[in-house]
Amino acid sequence: MTGLRFDTYDWNGGREAMLRFGPDGGPIVIAALPLFEEANRTRQFTCTILRALADHGIGSLLPDFPGTGESVIATIDARLSDQRRAYSQLTQQLGTRSYALSTRSGALLDTDADLTGRWHLTPHSGFDLVRNLERTRAAAGKPDREGEYAGNRLSHEMLAELKDAVPFGGGRYRVIRLDTDPRAADAAYAGAPLWRRSEPGNDIPLAQRLAVDISRWISSCEG
Amino acid sequence: MLVIFEGTSQVETTVRAVLADILGLSADRVATFTADTPLFGALPELDSMAVASVLTELEDRLGILIEDDEIDGEMLETFGALVQFAAGKALV
Repeated sequence: MTGLRFDTYDWNGGREAMLRFGPDGGPIVIAALPLFEEANRTRQFTCTILRALADHGIGSLLPDFPGTGESVIATIDARLSDQRRAYSQLTQQLGTRSYALSTRSGALLDTDADLTGRWHLTPHSGFDLVRNLERTRAAAGKPDREGEYAGNRLSHEMLAELKDAVPFGGGRYRVIRLDTDPRAADAAYAGAPLWRRSEPGNDIPLAQRLAVDISRWISSCEG
Repeated sequence: MLVIFEGTSQVETTVRAVLADILGLSADRVATFTADTPLFGALPELDSMAVASVLTELEDRLGILIEDDEIDGEMLETFGALVQFAAGKALV
């Protein structure tokens, strides 16, 4: 099985890095991590899912988006509209059928892209994301440091874009939640919400079960 | 399991599970929590960011809404205080 590779893609605002897992041929999964702090808490878990998908013969990408990861664009200059544009331009360059694997607020990034299907893990709205950010800031006792949310400096423009953003639930769409989450889902799995853990963690059995869910779902979409 | 307030055993179970899941504590450890077990200031895992995560996770699991101006030190002082606060929201 093809191992991990480092790659890049271009969008009309610059070049961003991405990790590649599994085969280059066939349908490809594009993973979008949650924005901000939750990205740190879910990155290792997401990579575990992508490695397991490679074992099922499915290739995948874990791209940075403008203002995330290794991007040269500073967090203060990040815009959801740019991140959505970069996502769309990435899918256009792939030249194959692609599927979104978006976690939490990562589901806000795949809305405009030409995808064969979207698989969302505990998606939430931009409104809920901003509410979480404001609560974290209030809990940290720094309500006066304008624009700073748990160490991330965010622009008014970004916050305004996020507040109105919702995941796109059209087309081939599958929502997965944890069994402790009462909201509607196509399937629910047992596990802890790693995106809220105080220290980054991993859940290899859950990652493997989710990879099986994704590979079966992609097979049904491809069938 | 110790029931701290009548009618709140389900809420208490949820609070216990949320503390384990968010703070990364073992089920055995949170099972020893009693009404008097101190939380904020006593558990190093429960820093200010974790407080926000615990409360938001409680909102999701219990289907409640916690206003930011309701959040104070007292509700997080002990396990019993947190269960009582959550039960007051969930059992209305």
